[in-house]
Amino acid sequence: MKKLHIVGIVVIAIAIGVIFVSLKNTSTYADFTQAISNPEKEYHVVGKLDKNQPQIYDPKINADQFIFTLIDNKGISKQVVLHKSKPQDFEKSEQIVLIGKMDGNEFHANDILMKCPSKYNDGKAQAQLN
Amino acid sequence: MNGVQYIQERLWAGNLGNAFVVLSFVGALLSFFAYYLSSKNLSFLKLARLAFNIHGFAVIGIIGTMFWMLLNHYFEYQYVYQHSNTSMDMKYILSCFWEGQEGSFLLWTFWNIALGTILKRQLKPGEWEIPVMTVFALVQVFLASMLLGVYVFDYKIGSNPFLLLRDHADFSNLPFLRKEGMVPATLDGKGLNPLLMNYWMTIHPPTLFLGFSSTLIPFAFAIGALWNKKYNEWQKIALPWTYFCILILGIGILMGGAWAYEALSFGGFWAWDPVENSSLVPWLIVVGAGHTMIINKNKGGSLFTTHFLAIGGFLLVLYSTFLTRSGVLGNASVHAFTDLGMTGQLVLYVLTFIFITVMLLINDKLFRVSYIMVSLLILFFGILYGYKRALLMLWLGGSGIVTFISYYKYFPKEKDEEDLYSREFWMFLGSLVFLLSGLIITYFTSIPVINKLFNTEFAPPKVAVYNSWMMPFAILIMILIGASQFLKYKKTDPKKFFKRISYSFLLSILFGLACSIPLYFLTKTEAKGIGTWDLVGFSALLVSGLFAVFANLDYYLMVLKGKVSKSGAAIAHIGFAMVLIGALISTSKKVTLAKNMADKKLEALGKDFDDKESVLLTQGDTVAMGPYLIVYKEKRREGIDIFYTVDYLKLDKNKKPEFEFTLVPIVKNNPRMGQSSAEPATKHYLSRDIYSHITFANMSIDTDTSSKKKNAFGEAKNYVGHVGDTIFASNALVIIDSLRSNLTKSQYEKNDSLLEVTAVLKCKTTDEKIFFAYPKFIIKKNVVIPQEDVVDELGLKLVFWKINPDDGTIEITMSEKLSNNKDFIVMKAFVFPYINVLWLGCLIMAFGTGIAVIERIRKFKLQS
Repeated sequence: MKKLHIVGIVVIAIAIGVIFVSLKNTSTYADFTQAISNPEKEYHVVGKLDKNQPQIYDPKINADQFIFTLIDNKGISKQVVLHKSKPQDFEKSEQIVLIGKMDGNEFHANDILMKCPSKYNDGKAQAQLN
Repeated sequence: MNGVQYIQERLWAGNLGNAFVVLSFVGALLSFFAYYLSSKNLSFLKLARLAFNIHGFAVIGIIGTMFWMLLNHYFEYQYVYQHSNTSMDMKYILSCFWEGQEGSFLLWTFWNIALGTILKRQLKPGEWEIPVMTVFALVQVFLASMLLGVYVFDYKIGSNPFLLLRDHADFSNLPFLRKEGMVPATLDGKGLNPLLMNYWMTIHPPTLFLGFSSTLIPFAFAIGALWNKKYNEWQKIALPWTYFCILILGIGILMGGAWAYEALSFGGFWAWDPVENSSLVPWLIVVGAGHTMIINKNKGGSLFTTHFLAIGGFLLVLYSTFLTRSGVLGNASVHAFTDLGMTGQLVLYVLTFIFITVMLLINDKLFRVSYIMVSLLILFFGILYGYKRALLMLWLGGSGIVTFISYYKYFPKEKDEEDLYSREFWMFLGSLVFLLSGLIITYFTSIPVINKLFNTEFAPPKVAVYNSWMMPFAILIMILIGASQFLKYKKTDPKKFFKRISYSFLLSILFGLACSIPLYFLTKTEAKGIGTWDLVGFSALLVSGLFAVFANLDYYLMVLKGKVSKSGAAIAHIGFAMVLIGALISTSKKVTLAKNMADKKLEALGKDFDDKESVLLTQGDTVAMGPYLIVYKEKRREGIDIFYTVDYLKLDKNKKPEFEFTLVPIVKNNPRMGQSSAEPATKHYLSRDIYSHITFANMSIDTDTSSKKKNAFGEAKNYVGHVGDTIFASNALVIIDSLRSNLTKSQYEKNDSLLEVTAVLKCKTTDEKIFFAYPKFIIKKNVVIPQEDVVDELGLKLVFWKINPDDGTIEITMSEKLSNNKDFIVMKAFVFPYINVLWLGCLIMAFGTGIAVIERIRKFKLQS
């Protein structure tokens, strides 16, 4: 057996290893029910802003804390503590993805992705991480 | 189209453009067939070349027509309406052209034509021109079809850039178009996405697309080689082109990083975003191909890997086109890509080229015919009965197995084994490392595709996941880059090698540890979730990166005697190592300035506060942030941009604040994105960058600046307290210092004519300035007449109106000027240390690769 064959086998083994290891640890899209049943795991919860509930953002007290309520895709609404500053144009969002864990009755998110309605977007990067 | 001409419409432009579109498609198709036929009969060659030239002429015609329409504001056309307007700066006209998908496909097509035309002249007609140009022409057929915009059995092929506004589904309901037959003369377009109004955006796309285009060259040669079973000789010809591709694609990617760093609030230059990844991966693969081609040139062999990588580079460009333009990333990415309804088409193109590759690999007629038949059967079954996902996976798996069998049965293989102490062995290993890292990045980026195929719900991985996976590969590559320079092809004396390499090795250990121990083990690294192993990894990358730099520097100075023309590789490798070192240090030692300020209060606020990154700045107030005192001065609006002026001061030796610099981060109220976006502002120093962007701000600008409103006082609030208590104003702490009276208690009791009690109020501002206020409580003949005092500097009005003798408290009302309710911003600021190592590394790498390209061309010319 050639040395390069051994290398080839190692390469394939690493590739398969990556697939298994990463899938095990990868966060998945979920709703609040799943997040509640497994509070240890980080989830991506997709939903909409509940506009009837108050939003609390007081940068004088904590510029990195924003509290609001999200209705997930199954219609369950939970209070969310986002550990970041309030995203600009938050009210305009039509879809929100929160990345975080459930803690008690609150969902603690350390990241947020927002989708805003934009009729004329095309092609190039339309990035807004925050 | 209904053949009706609306008033004000200039239909000739669209007709001309469409004529060019059709001509371009037909020309490419004809050229493909003629080139293919000329492989059997040389008399078709003339026609093939002519058809390719006609195709090229037509594409230039399309581009010319589009520019004419953009420059003259033909807003009756959808593309012009959607991507430009009359108020924009004409220097961004190029960006308008490629902002849309159609324009960027045209850019790609254009570069392919330019490269094809050069190759067509360079190559010998009887030999490589025919197979290479057949592949070129086929790719052009596909690209030209992307602009057709015709329907075949309800399935739309391509998206036409000459569509009239009134014929476009999204716009045909616009009110002015529904009014009978009229395009208003005052019609203005939607304009260019403001994010693209950046100088990087005028040079980044054409560079990147030239890079994408040039991946076609090694691909076309490799396909031609499989077709003609001539596996070796093309590599000499393609070698300079492959390095040209590495150079241009590399520059294109880094320009994208520079743009992201300057114009997007990613908080860095690289975010492992799907768009970035899908340009990085082809580069990694082509770099791998370039290196196996050098092995082949110097020693022969590594044939299968070279073909695999050369073909893979282009296939991955096609795949990333599919990823970023089909809308498949949709929910998974913050990037909103418009689905132009070309998903099926894009998938079909990727699969076609995989099919062609596998088919050509099979060297047996019966086997080949059965592969073709089975593939077609699967295709028709899928179209007729569905089960598309299952069939696709079946076909891909089957094609993989066929490739494997073909490799064992038909592909030429080397008999002798590479020596362990040979350059080719380790260089080959390096190419495999690049391949593997490229595949892993592709796998992570493809998670949305995997979700679609297997109905799973996996979320795309975070930046940290990419970083930690790529770390070992980076370390490995650095070691290989350093060590393999001193290995000779075929065989090296191990003793000499180890002696030679030991200098660089010891030096890098020494330097590396001297840097990494204080950097990673003696000071705190603030990035979240960093464990000891990560720190060991950082140190290892630093040491191995330095090893790559020193070894290549040694090789350049001592072996090549500093001769630049021979040293392309050594210089490029130094540059690449510097890019990784710069990226490592600037990212791992990134300092959040806001956090430093908070450290003092950390305990009081609990452990949660450790994560804090943002800082609140109230207009006019000075806030300590890291080594700076920062002041948010003002905001102003220009068009859609709101500029927030923030001054940075530092304390000098005498503890006096001294002005250092001003940063003006911007919030763009971007109507195209339905959401405003922050544009960072950065102060560049040689050793570090201070980078800041706004995370939250009030975007409305108060236009009522009349002094009347500003000077009015707001609602008064009452406070009850003792001497020593504090009242919180928005801009100061008001401390009840003491009370003074003109009479003693006994005097007042004797003579009740006039009592005057003065409250001494000490107002301490956030920047430690002190003002005093003296409101008076006066009793004259049993009537209380409070006498207010106003602190003009602070806009505070204080009224001392009551003394409660029972509990010894006093009551004071305070009202603040309306102008005290100041504007504020929430901002993030980071220091990126030594980020210039990264940019300098980019330049050095580009310079080295450029030299390598020139040298390869020179050598190639000498040989032929």
